[in-house]
Amino acid sequence: MVETAAGRRNTYFAEIRHYKTQKFIITTILVLLALAVIAPLVLPFCFVFKTQLEYAYDPWGLPKQLRLLNFREAWAAVNILHGLINTFLVCLGAVACTVPTAAMAGYIFARYQNKFTEIVFYMILAGWFVPVQMVLIPLYRFTSQIGLSNTLPGLFLIMCAFGVPFWSMIYRSFFRSLPGELAEAARIDGAGHATTFFRVMLPLANPATALAVLLVFIGSWSDYFLSLIFISDQNLFTMQLRVAQFLNQYGVDRMPRYAAAAIIAAAPTVLLYIIGHRWILQGTLAGALKG
Amino acid sequence: MATDAGIILEYGRTRKKKRDWRGFVFQLLFLFPAVFFLGLFMFYPIEETFRLSLMRASGLGDTVYIGLENYVKLFTNEEFQQGLLHVFAWAFWSVVIQIPLAFFIAFSLIAFKNKLTSKLRAIYYLASIIPSAIVAMLGRFIFSPRNGVISSLAARWNWTWLANIDFFGDSRLAFWTVFAVATWTYIGFYIVYQMANIEQIPVDIYEAALLDGATRWQYARYVVIPMISYPLRICAILCTVGSLKLFDLPWLLTFGGPGYATTTLGIILYKQGFINAMYGRASAIGVIIFLLSLIFTVTQFSLQRKEGEIEW
Repeated sequence: MVETAAGRRNTYFAEIRHYKTQKFIITTILVLLALAVIAPLVLPFCFVFKTQLEYAYDPWGLPKQLRLLNFREAWAAVNILHGLINTFLVCLGAVACTVPTAAMAGYIFARYQNKFTEIVFYMILAGWFVPVQMVLIPLYRFTSQIGLSNTLPGLFLIMCAFGVPFWSMIYRSFFRSLPGELAEAARIDGAGHATTFFRVMLPLANPATALAVLLVFIGSWSDYFLSLIFISDQNLFTMQLRVAQFLNQYGVDRMPRYAAAAIIAAAPTVLLYIIGHRWILQGTLAGALKG
Repeated sequence: MATDAGIILEYGRTRKKKRDWRGFVFQLLFLFPAVFFLGLFMFYPIEETFRLSLMRASGLGDTVYIGLENYVKLFTNEEFQQGLLHVFAWAFWSVVIQIPLAFFIAFSLIAFKNKLTSKLRAIYYLASIIPSAIVAMLGRFIFSPRNGVISSLAARWNWTWLANIDFFGDSRLAFWTVFAVATWTYIGFYIVYQMANIEQIPVDIYEAALLDGATRWQYARYVVIPMISYPLRICAILCTVGSLKLFDLPWLLTFGGPGYATTTLGIILYKQGFINAMYGRASAIGVIIFLLSLIFTVTQFSLQRKEGEIEW
């Protein structure tokens, strides 16, 4: 393990005389920028407890009492609960399809290198560079032909197809970093190919699996474009489609209700992030550094 | 070592001669799902895209082979020209604004680390994880005329010039409003990514810079940037390729308008394919997006390599 500069950053640089002022200025800038990042998430709370009349009279004054009326109205208008269930199903489906597929393919690429697997490897690597926009039209026509368009499985299967290239590359590099002797030992002990994979190698790849599950989940959680294209039935609308629908139907004319809707829409993601930000950050980093 | 490797190789070769059928079936079985999904949902549609882009195909009438007419029509169409222009402008400005800003924040967070700033990384990343539909919602919350946060604050302080600006309706401003909202949400990833790479720089190099009497900013300019030039290149590619695929935010914030002021290739593709049902035309846009992303990636890699050769 190389010792990195991050471990020792308290050593002073040459400009030690101006260090204190510089540090103060930079810290202030950083804090202000961070405030700008969270401001749009916090400001709705200024408006959300007022009635429309109170808001029109004095938008920035303190609310006289804590009214929950706006939340109730926004909840009904966005109908987010239904959307959340659908989003959750799509996320589960995407994870269940992408992660095993990618793990299996990555394992073969890492441990069975021959002409045949090499060809498949380059094919899947090429798939990494294909933007989904490119194939959208034929994809849509094709999924309607086989009856998959406007269904949740259709949506998550497509997400899976476009997620597999990246994740099989991650799995490949992970399996390559594991010592090959472990697999050899399992083989000598009489385990077949499949047993070696499922009983020995896959449990060792748990960190990669956790990462894949988390990031595939987040990816399909935040998807808007594919849902917009492939889902047209109101009953199947995902959370993002519900939010967009609210955005286009109601607009910002009634600010308190809009603020309540924004809070309701952002809350699940923000809560997820508050609970899991450590893993999410670590996962993103691991994915970014390897990929 | 060498003999060991030789023995292992020899062993592998004898195994191969025996034809390890079971292993081969295992490989087929394990690769099948990936190949199946990609073949069905990616490679088959790619072939179809190229074929359709040369056809006149719409909801009505037959599909007829018309050669390159779709492409010619697109390039003479004002909406498409505008979209292309916006894609290039977006790519340029995101490389010029977002990446340096992210680098500044990332480097400062590391170089001026204290109790307060070490908490900030998680906050910066929060904005990147929020889904684009909700980002658009918050963007309208801030920038809407009359009711938006900026307008209502300006009205409160009697800054009428600011209160009267229509951030989404003014065709010169709309692009920049969307860009600002996008910067808000995209920058978190670049910050976190660059921080991770800066933290990988070995301490020897840092100490060498220290001994030579470098200031923090000299260290950043002459040591850190060359050291992380590869990750920076990746960021630039993500920016430019992302601008080609740009759809969510301009669509949700302005629907590509007013006029064609914020239209992008993704929006034109969606409009042509799913509103006007011009499948052939839309496929041609898909092909153009693909070719441009290929060109962007390749040129960026080769440009950067040339620069690197000059510097080193």
